[in-house]
Amino acid sequence: MSRYGRRRIANRVYLALSFAATALGLVFLFLVLYALLRNGVPALSGPLFTQATPPPGSAGGLANAIYGSVVMTITATLVGTPIGVLTGTFLAEYGKDSRLAAVVRFVNDILLSAPSIIIGLFVYEVVVKNMGHFSAWAGSVALALIVIPVVVRTTENMLVLVPNSLREAASALGTPQWRVIVEIIYRAALQGMLTGVMLAVARIAGETAPLLFTALNNQFWSTDMNAPMANLPVVIFQFALSPYSDWQVLAWGGAMLITLTILVLNILARILASWSNRSP
Amino acid sequence: MAIATVSAQLGRQRVFDVLFRGATRAFAGLVLLLLGGVMVALGVGAWPAFSHFGPAFLTSTAWNPVNDQYGALPAIFGTLMTSLIAMLIGVPLAVGVAVFLTELCPPLFRRPIGTMIELLAAVPSIIYGIWGLFVLAPFLQLTVQPFLIDLLGDIPVIGVLFEGPPLGLGMLTAGFILAMMVLPFITAVVRDVFLTVPSVLRESAYGIGATTSEVVRSIVVPYTRTGIIGGVMLGLGRALGETMAVTFVIGNAHEIHASLFAPGTTISATLANEFTEAVTPLYVSSLFALGFILFVITFLVLAAAKLMLLQLERRAGT
Amino acid sequence: MTMDYSDATAPTPPPKSVPVKPVSDPMPPRQAKTLPNLTPQIATAAPATTAAAKLVVKCEVRDLRFYYKQFEALKGINLTLHDKRVTAFIGPSGCGKSTLLRVLNRIYELYPDQRAKGEVLVDGRNILDPGQDLNLLRAKIGMVFQKPTPFPMSIYDNVAFGIRLYETLRSRELDERVEEALQRAALWNEVKDKLRQSGLSLSGGQQQRLCIARAIAVKPEILLLDEPASALDPISTQRIEELIAELKSDYCIVIVTHNMQQAARSSDYTAFMYLGSLIEFDETEAIFTHPSQKQTEDYITGRFG
Repeated sequence: MSRYGRRRIANRVYLALSFAATALGLVFLFLVLYALLRNGVPALSGPLFTQATPPPGSAGGLANAIYGSVVMTITATLVGTPIGVLTGTFLAEYGKDSRLAAVVRFVNDILLSAPSIIIGLFVYEVVVKNMGHFSAWAGSVALALIVIPVVVRTTENMLVLVPNSLREAASALGTPQWRVIVEIIYRAALQGMLTGVMLAVARIAGETAPLLFTALNNQFWSTDMNAPMANLPVVIFQFALSPYSDWQVLAWGGAMLITLTILVLNILARILASWSNRSP
Repeated sequence: MAIATVSAQLGRQRVFDVLFRGATRAFAGLVLLLLGGVMVALGVGAWPAFSHFGPAFLTSTAWNPVNDQYGALPAIFGTLMTSLIAMLIGVPLAVGVAVFLTELCPPLFRRPIGTMIELLAAVPSIIYGIWGLFVLAPFLQLTVQPFLIDLLGDIPVIGVLFEGPPLGLGMLTAGFILAMMVLPFITAVVRDVFLTVPSVLRESAYGIGATTSEVVRSIVVPYTRTGIIGGVMLGLGRALGETMAVTFVIGNAHEIHASLFAPGTTISATLANEFTEAVTPLYVSSLFALGFILFVITFLVLAAAKLMLLQLERRAGT
Repeated sequence: MTMDYSDATAPTPPPKSVPVKPVSDPMPPRQAKTLPNLTPQIATAAPATTAAAKLVVKCEVRDLRFYYKQFEALKGINLTLHDKRVTAFIGPSGCGKSTLLRVLNRIYELYPDQRAKGEVLVDGRNILDPGQDLNLLRAKIGMVFQKPTPFPMSIYDNVAFGIRLYETLRSRELDERVEEALQRAALWNEVKDKLRQSGLSLSGGQQQRLCIARAIAVKPEILLLDEPASALDPISTQRIEELIAELKSDYCIVIVTHNMQQAARSSDYTAFMYLGSLIEFDETEAIFTHPSQKQTEDYITGRFG
């Protein structure tokens, strides 16, 4: 066979392999989603949204866990977002190329990928130990610490995209810098920053590891932020590994609920981002 | 009067300017403190165990809550082993996907396929765990593992890796799931660095008649080597600390086996399983010590990844 | 709060330190805040003809040097700008004409590695002095940029933004000020029915006039125009030039342009710059009919540049 023929075949083989890799990734995603739907839909028939987690053998739902997840996710987002936005603002508007900014950027990127269970340990040592008990507050703090680096990253990226001409135009009117940032630059970057917050929410909505030793779990309906609080991920963990089949069904139901919520959030965030990129 | 009010207004604005700037700076400082705080808090929690067991903590295979004897080696071994398997499977796949997305995919499908691959990263860890336990593990136990044992189990040296009963749970299953979880992270970085290759380089290679795979192998990959390694390290950092998915499928045994089918444990799985059940102070402290070790390892890996990517960024910037 | 930064620290107090409000000023006496040293000419509606108006020095540039890091972009500029006149800066790209303009309101200070040395006296006071309040300075010196820069907010808010910064007006008064500015910028008729729409929804030429309206709404004393028509089509360009002719009865206008016809048409004085130096500065007619320098002649006749 000619040299050219061999090269062409080699090329085909490589490209086929790269296609196969992509196909495997997609198949994997669909297999996971299929399993979630198949095992999760039956759980919807029960009182999933109306009753608290049951003892083994009796009927029940996930109402307390859903409530706990929503409350802690919202609290963490409310705490983490302002901190993340201000830090991102520092990097994009004040620190820029300074040494401090470079170090903060570096540390933030490490926090972004740091194991979330480490965050759980940290909050246990700092919050739970000092309070003397597990609590929803501790869980929210742990989740907030995961929100911060995500929001820092996206805020900085979005602010840097705002053209300097807008900063100059605002300053040229005699606008103090803080108002330039808050009233002009934030507004110009709003969609991108919202995208970042949505991605952060999606990220913490399914986080389990940092809640294991902070919010723990609670079998009963509880709205006390100072006490352990049920949440979907930890309930899924506990119920899935249990030998009781009705608990396992609830675990699948919760898993489907979380995943669909997160995928919807992700897709919405993407649509928002591409929409904001298109406007001038 | 008018001057006084405007001056007061200007003065107020200056104060706000200083306050706002100060606030952003303070929170930036807080992010720095956070990393330091994590390290100190883990160090403090880990200290009793380190001082009680000494360096032997790192090399001991004992893990016996009844006698209050703890050693980190099985968990460290499991952490490194599962991550190694994940990298061996995940990196070629991730690079393949990146090549497909940048060189091969029709532009129309580039975004949807890219998005779906990225969504792999959005699915929470615990979902992979529950799926791995109930779907993947039984499948591996009934089909893939018996096949591999029949095929490779009798070969000397390599056979050791495939010894033992097919349990479904164990190192290989954990490694495979981890591979799928880190795939989107590595792909994202590799795809980005592939796009930094100047099109002149690409075009001149095509111009002398190179095929797509030749362009990728001899132009794109060498040009972006540091970036690819950075992406791989980033994925490795993720794999090392991944908790829930592994906890479901690793088997949770503080043992070290050569076989890939044997159950084991990782640092994060040990923490997830045992932390709330730890009763003695030494037990808790030993778990903190495991966390400290995990943090140091991932910190080093992630820092290396970041530095490599920064280097590439600087080159692309000039 | 008893802070009074703005004027106390200035070395040379402005000649008119009290904001003189002419009786004819339609501004109601209830108006709480106004900029010091702000002469409200807009209010006196009758435009004085240029020839009749007395020449008043508004701004004097003395031995101005400018640096981007180590690079010296302006090499000792001396120049006088007159009130109620249009001065054009021309020259080939990179000659420093935009840099000079950006010194006049110290907008370059947004970038840490740029600095200026020398003196720029506005009404006799050196604005390069470290004690100068930048926000006050920029409120008094308006600027319009090469590309339109509408803020991401409604047309109304774009114009009202600058007014709200320093003045507390009732909504009816604010409405009047916005309308007045839009009318002066020859945009009112086109936008009066869609004031709540985003400023980004306008065409390029309209956006640029919106930016001019925004700049004059705060009643500045000097108006800096940095190639304001270079990104626009010929018809929009013509409207901007008409606008400049219209506005010069009230302001000291400085325009940077690479278009020599534009400089010849719309300015009273022209400064020709080359490689960071001011080669020639004279009445526009003189520059374009019998320039005294060879380089100027070469440039305006198109032999280089």
